[in-house]
Amino acid sequence: MASILEARNVRYSYSDGPEALRGLSTTVEEGKKIALVGPNGAGKSTLMLMFNGILRPTSGEVYFNGQPMKYDSPSLRNVRRKVGLVFQNPDDQLFAPTVYQDVAFGPVNLGYPKDKTERYVSYALSYVGLSGFESRPPHHLSGGEKKRVAIAGVLAMEPDVMILDEPTSNLDPAGSEEIMEMLDELNSSGKTMIISTHDVELAYRWADLVLLMEDGKLLHYGPPSAVFADHGLVSKARMKLPAVMEIYQELKGRGVLDGDRPPRNILELTNMLETRAKVGCPKVSPGKIYLYNVDRADLKEIRSFLDSGSAKYVGAMGTSAKMTAEREKIRLDFTFGVIDKSILKATTGQSSLIMTSGGMVEHAMRRIEAYCDEWGAKIQVSVLNASVPNDPEK
Amino acid sequence: MHDLLDDYAQTNALRDVSPRLKLVLGLGSILLCVFSPSPVAPLIAALTMSAITVFLAKIPVRLYRKLLIVPLTFVLFSSLAILFVTGSGEPIIAFQAFGLGLGIGRDSANIALLMLSRTLGGTSSLFFIALTTPMIEIFSILKSLRLPDVLLELSMLIYRYIFVLMDQAMMINSAQTMRLGHASLRGSFNSFSMLSGVLFLRAWEQGERLMVAMDSRCYDGRLDVFERRTPIMLHGTLAVIGYLAAVAAIAFLTRDLRLI
Repeated sequence: MASILEARNVRYSYSDGPEALRGLSTTVEEGKKIALVGPNGAGKSTLMLMFNGILRPTSGEVYFNGQPMKYDSPSLRNVRRKVGLVFQNPDDQLFAPTVYQDVAFGPVNLGYPKDKTERYVSYALSYVGLSGFESRPPHHLSGGEKKRVAIAGVLAMEPDVMILDEPTSNLDPAGSEEIMEMLDELNSSGKTMIISTHDVELAYRWADLVLLMEDGKLLHYGPPSAVFADHGLVSKARMKLPAVMEIYQELKGRGVLDGDRPPRNILELTNMLETRAKVGCPKVSPGKIYLYNVDRADLKEIRSFLDSGSAKYVGAMGTSAKMTAEREKIRLDFTFGVIDKSILKATTGQSSLIMTSGGMVEHAMRRIEAYCDEWGAKIQVSVLNASVPNDPEK
Repeated sequence: MHDLLDDYAQTNALRDVSPRLKLVLGLGSILLCVFSPSPVAPLIAALTMSAITVFLAKIPVRLYRKLLIVPLTFVLFSSLAILFVTGSGEPIIAFQAFGLGLGIGRDSANIALLMLSRTLGGTSSLFFIALTTPMIEIFSILKSLRLPDVLLELSMLIYRYIFVLMDQAMMINSAQTMRLGHASLRGSFNSFSMLSGVLFLRAWEQGERLMVAMDSRCYDGRLDVFERRTPIMLHGTLAVIGYLAAVAAIAFLTRDLRLI
């Protein structure tokens, strides 16, 4: 895969302090989910500002799409349009007096005409589930809503890469799960995602690659299972082990579990334990997972399906699915971590329905297939409305 | 948490009335109050504007009363001063106090009353605008009145950050109160000076972060205004014109009337 962002031996020092980045080199491949992890003051934010062209390295070079970044205004404009940056504190980012104005800020400055701006703003706001908030002033929004507006403001510029500084800080647990799911959805539509976080659980579960930083330098760059398996690295970066990893290592130390591949999440850990515990026990026949594409929704159909009782649990993935469920007054059992929870239910013999939209249907199918391949499970997946042709108008 | 006029402006019952119409009504009424030679028209304007604010816009009476108290005490004291200081015309009351001969003349009584009524009328008209029309809508009117973009953008940014800084000021204030920063008068002065200093620095830093935020989203000297399309209703327009005409007529007819 092509590298979309690259830092080559970059150094940077703020005018009033020691060097924040001390010769860091790294590559970000297109379409990946990357978590920047490291202690306070490791230089994560500096690196993020550098990827967006806000800071210029004192030495070394940053490459975007294989080209060295130039710092004249037209090149910077291009980079900043393609690499969207979401700040940690939404109050720093939301500076316009209304939600509409703030989300429209990027498109307006890119010189889009009025109708195009309006189209982009309404698309971005509906993507983050805040349609109808246009005339609200930011100080009337909750923390989670502010964060969504900040994301919408970047989304309205259609970036290829999105960089988010501590996207889940100051959010309640369900709110941060929803934000992370939204980032997943954006990633599955092809955008490269880079987040910085102190939340090891989140980094472990979510990221394809973890970039561990310490003291302005790269400590380690690799898949999360490798990074978090190394006690030395973890303590050097002032992190702690994710709970799943810690339980796994304890159990492995006691000989309850073996193997070299640590579990990524609760689902995988449960499976490892179950396979050990159930040697010789009769297997439960697994439940089914039904997928439902809300883009081609015929809502009578889903009503009758739910009434038939074929699925015990219902989950919705993505904003438009959640909105459909709310509109149709469908009670949701899962609103985040939906695929994992459905698989967990399926392995105990219960069936569930996942409502989702567009490309996420394929994403969910791939995820479940990958799980079945790995664990030798036989979970039946069917798309309820696969036969309905796509409405060309949509 | 706190009563902000802007919060009421966002939610009042006249929110969906065209902001231009509300502005014309408020400003027109202020002008009439200022130019009316007798106290009758301003007093009528004060009563009607208060009634509109409380009954049509459904602003809670308690809040409205609280708001009026500040300018009201101020104007009452100034009227008293005028009453005694500008002593011309035939005296209506004269008495001795503190070894001084004090008196109120007919002219000064009239001036004091006129000022009182103009202030009341003007204040209630201004409160009508402040409580029914959110700033963001006034921005879009200013834009259409060709106010220079620089001024408009600055005022929009200032408006937004007033709330951010106010939140910070309140947090600093709570932090000080929590640690008994306001236990004595001396302590209060100290705490206040510290709050002001810290707030200035925070405003400065916020400004720098604002620059970064704008740059990172391709700032090119453009900040759009938000326009909500509120149709101008015919009967509303007629009512405003009728009201202003009536007040103007009263001001004209009572131009020579003196109450005292």
